[in-house]
Amino acid sequence: MRQRAHRTHLAGRLVALLGVACHGAAPRSGTVGALVLRDDAGRVVRLAAPARRVVSLAPSITELLFAIGAGDQIVGRTIYCQYPPAALQVPPVGDGLNPSVEAIVARHPDLVLLYRSSHTDAAARQLEGLGIPTLVVRHDRLADIARTGRLLGRATGRDSGGEAVGRAMDSLLARPLSPVHARIAYVVWDSPPIVIGGGSFLDELARLAGADNVFHDITTPSATVSIETIVARDPDWIAVVRDSAGNEPPAWARRPEWRAVRAVREGRFLVLPGDLFGQPSPRAGVAVTALRDRLSNTTHPTSQSP
Amino acid sequence: MKWFWLVAALLAALLAGIGLGPAAVPISELWQSPIVRDLRLPRALLGLLVGGSLGIAGASLQSLVRNPLADPFLLGLSGGAGLGAVLAIALHWGGPWAIPLAAFAGALGALGLVFRLGLVGGAELDPRILLLGGVAVGAFCGAVMTAIVSLAEASELRNAYLWLWGGLSGASWDTLRVIALCLPVPVTALLASARPLDLLVLGEEPARHLGADVRAVKRRVYLAASFLTAVSVAVAGVIGFVGLIVPHLGRALVGGRHLRLLPASFLAGGTLLVLADTLARTVVAPRELPVGIVTALVGVPLFAVLLRRWTAY
Repeated sequence: MRQRAHRTHLAGRLVALLGVACHGAAPRSGTVGALVLRDDAGRVVRLAAPARRVVSLAPSITELLFAIGAGDQIVGRTIYCQYPPAALQVPPVGDGLNPSVEAIVARHPDLVLLYRSSHTDAAARQLEGLGIPTLVVRHDRLADIARTGRLLGRATGRDSGGEAVGRAMDSLLARPLSPVHARIAYVVWDSPPIVIGGGSFLDELARLAGADNVFHDITTPSATVSIETIVARDPDWIAVVRDSAGNEPPAWARRPEWRAVRAVREGRFLVLPGDLFGQPSPRAGVAVTALRDRLSNTTHPTSQSP
Repeated sequence: MKWFWLVAALLAALLAGIGLGPAAVPISELWQSPIVRDLRLPRALLGLLVGGSLGIAGASLQSLVRNPLADPFLLGLSGGAGLGAVLAIALHWGGPWAIPLAAFAGALGALGLVFRLGLVGGAELDPRILLLGGVAVGAFCGAVMTAIVSLAEASELRNAYLWLWGGLSGASWDTLRVIALCLPVPVTALLASARPLDLLVLGEEPARHLGADVRAVKRRVYLAASFLTAVSVAVAGVIGFVGLIVPHLGRALVGGRHLRLLPASFLAGGTLLVLADTLARTVVAPRELPVGIVTALVGVPLFAVLLRRWTAY
């Protein structure tokens, strides 16, 4: 809760600052075309010009850069950045969570984009010490994609691309599909059972597709619960996000303690592809449509009772 | 009288475990509800058996290595089990039982390795060698596990750590049947070693002079206690503090004679774990706490009170 309030506050300040940057700060700094940006760590970052050589240290940031038309400005990515396929042409610089500063510097970037975490704060400071500007972003919710899209658009000189992504996300969020009376529980791990709560973008995707997340009342992105709680909430569908292909139910569905859940007994699983549902993505609209299709096409699920 | 209270506490904990939960089940429907029959009852009984195993294993290992700090997981088993679980996830071993089986195999592997190290150069399970070997094997398995987690790309590997922290969410009548088959032999072996363990606490030389077959007793106790721990870790992950604290509670209640201490540790361990799991499931409902956190929160203050009483003499 506190984190969300903080984020809204930041977003407000960002909007205010963009105004300042457009109308006041640039002339005061004395450099024509200078950019003043504020990132999600609350830092003010000055760029002499839009970045031309960008290192992205998170898969969601890489995807967003391609979406706003800045894909050809990326000179480094993480080993996890697999989408879009063109991202694979960019040399990897590590796993993103524990960035190798040496590998990043070797790519001669003029901007490094980091996903905010306790690991990345230290790396951001190190890079700043070497004179390489960094932006720390945190996008966990769909509204964050709109905000980050606009921020990255300004940082890379792709303002119109960023604005287009921002506007697409805004209109997606403003127009949820009609309700289908489907109650979903996202189960991300079985032992201990971990479900997605109201703080996650997956909760938003369900709502936009017209369905309800039965754990919407849990405010954090995810939470450990008892199987008993899932039985009591009695979802119509169990949604699982999986990287590998295939539609078959997860292996844990055959464990006896999970048979107490009606949706598991009846084999009502929504297997969602990880590249679309694994991270908050500018393709959220595609994800919403895919989820809606699964919900309305599969009216008679195959029974898996023993 | 002390035994009456031990048994009464255990029954009260079991009743609480069956009667309380995040879902509202009216008392009148308690015995027909599938939630109680298929989830709460097996979970409470699994808590009893796992907590009891850790309690009795902890009590015998503390006597075996003559160290009050010994914990069933100190001898490398948690590292071995974790490595097994991580391998099962990383290599996509299919099937609903892959992770528990792999963890069990890993724990047995670590058990065998530490046992072998404990015999190196005629050491004959010297407590110091056993403890050092256990810590070394555990650390090595932990390092390999961390390397796999950070090098492999499977995002589900991050959740392997969650599994390791332990919990009783995997409880079902099937799990219960498996553990009920595994327990009798090692528990009997430990109870049968009660008298020689009394002697062993005096030191190996005195024990030998008083007629104990020290070599055989040490092997039997080490293997039985470690096997119990391996079974526990396979069905419930690594649950801390039970095996460390419960033996000391038992000693305070019934004294140091093993024929009393070992059963008391079993009962107290079962009680503590069932109680802790009930709290873990209910206090932050609909969310759930890791049970290892609750065993520490409940067990450590109890332990502190005991320490105070000991030092007061």
